Amino acid sequence: MINNISPLGQRKGSRRVSWYRHRLERDLTRWRAEGWVSEAGASAIRADLKSRGSAFGAAPVFAILGAVLFGFAVMSFVAANWTAMSKLVRLGLLFAALWACYGGALLLFRRQLNAFAHAAVLGGIAVFGASIMLIAQMYHMEGNPPDAVLMWAVGALLAAALLRSNPALAATFVLLAVWTCYERFLAGAVHWSFLPAWVATTAVAVWFGWRPGLHLAAACLVTWVIPLGYLVLDHHAHWIVISIGIAAAFAAAAAGPAIDRRLPASAAIFAYGTLVAFAGLYIMQFIDRVVLHDIQDKMWTPQLVLLAVLTLALLLGAMLWAVHTDNRAALWLAYGAFALEVFSLYLKTFGTLLNTSLFFLIAAIMVSLLAWAAYRLHQRKAPTEAAP
Amino acid sequence: MTAARKLLLSLAIVALAQTGVLAAMVIDRVRLLKSGREITLPIVPVDPRDLFRGEYVRLGYDVSRVPVRLFEGPAPNPNQAFYVVIEKDPDGRWAPVKISRTMPQETSTDRVALKARARHGWPSATSDDRAVSVRYGIESYFVPEGQGPRLEALARDKKMAALIAVDAGGDAAIKGLIIDGALQYEEPLF
Repeated sequence: MINNISPLGQRKGSRRVSWYRHRLERDLTRWRAEGWVSEAGASAIRADLKSRGSAFGAAPVFAILGAVLFGFAVMSFVAANWTAMSKLVRLGLLFAALWACYGGALLLFRRQLNAFAHAAVLGGIAVFGASIMLIAQMYHMEGNPPDAVLMWAVGALLAAALLRSNPALAATFVLLAVWTCYERFLAGAVHWSFLPAWVATTAVAVWFGWRPGLHLAAACLVTWVIPLGYLVLDHHAHWIVISIGIAAAFAAAAAGPAIDRRLPASAAIFAYGTLVAFAGLYIMQFIDRVVLHDIQDKMWTPQLVLLAVLTLALLLGAMLWAVHTDNRAALWLAYGAFALEVFSLYLKTFGTLLNTSLFFLIAAIMVSLLAWAAYRLHQRKAPTEAAP
Repeated sequence: MTAARKLLLSLAIVALAQTGVLAAMVIDRVRLLKSGREITLPIVPVDPRDLFRGEYVRLGYDVSRVPVRLFEGPAPNPNQAFYVVIEKDPDGRWAPVKISRTMPQETSTDRVALKARARHGWPSATSDDRAVSVRYGIESYFVPEGQGPRLEALARDKKMAALIAVDAGGDAAIKGLIIDGALQYEEPLF
């Protein structure tokens, strides 16, 4: 579940902690007023929360940002095409910078300054990537540029796995996404080699049990899946993307408890599945072919209406399930998607403005009916819950 | 193993592996430049107005456009590497004679195989006069800072060529630039 906070996630997710604290404060006041919690109990709960939240400080954040900036500094050095030194001197400098980063990490780990040590590891990974680019520039290498990104990602993954470094793992996912987008851009075909690389990296994220890492894994996979429709069969096969999304969401809904016993991920899988399905539907309705050729004749209208109805039904279903399972992320995602869908439909219009108005009227009536049904259901359920 | 030893070992492995990868890149390139077969390809200006824009040059060659009819077998996938065999005619000019999906075994001294990728994908129609624009990895050249204007002045109205090293795997590298028959800029190994 997205709201289940893993021990690691607790320290890393400051926003979640602050949101939780805010909510708890509100509830504590109410529970205090009702007399369920004593004043001493309330203070103890507040003190406990405070001690847990403070582990997330500004220093690690700035250390990581510093490492990222350091990487950019090295990379712009590449762009400057520094030629005052001989190649050997330049190579020596690069190797020295690389070893300095990992040596620094060693010293910082030994002094228990783990956040800074991980920042140094991230710096080392940045220097590694910059060195690949610089050496390619020094020797006029072109080859296949995505291969260089893959090499960088492999170096980052090695550092992540051996040093149990979360920032390095995050960098690996970002690099994998860049790699597959680059390769897709050049080849215009499905990039199958991405999958084994993704599985290997995700296995490390699972082993770490690091929730943000798993979210990055999902985001990385989503960027690979969504454009899939453009690349297979007739290059407009977005139904494949929609099917994958719906299948993932259904699997998460149907096998939720079974999945959560191993890894509390079913709520997130449901949200990502919904996102993928909606992305496929959205591309089909408003982006592919339509933008390029602006097919808006009457032949297309029934198909668009069908897709729009399917999209809205899917989003309503997702909302119902999200409410039922208390899946906040999926609920907000479905709200956002619903708003985007309705807005896009409004801009597009079905043939005539009158038809569009009719469509929205029918949709409004149906959603209102659903609201009424949900209210009645809630009414019937509420007394039985309150009874014991 | 203690935690401290394990940490030291892990960091050493990461640093050594990454250094090794970088060193392998350099060594591979130096080997290619040192022991690769040398050929000279005339440069055709890609953008005749300013060849040396900034410190970075785009180089085009006669052999960068290859007739599609030279290809044997099904067209390669986009961004998949293939091999172009070029042959030296009696005048000393190189021209493409064959395209193949796998590395061809060429024994003739007048023939060289170059690894290539299609620049804008493979032409869809298969009419005979079509040509595919390819890159061999020798199309960009970084000139030392400040050298651009000098080389540009030399290149104006003069014949330019690139000295290329090619290894047994078809990989090519620029060794230097030749202007009016004289090697003007030679690439140092280190």
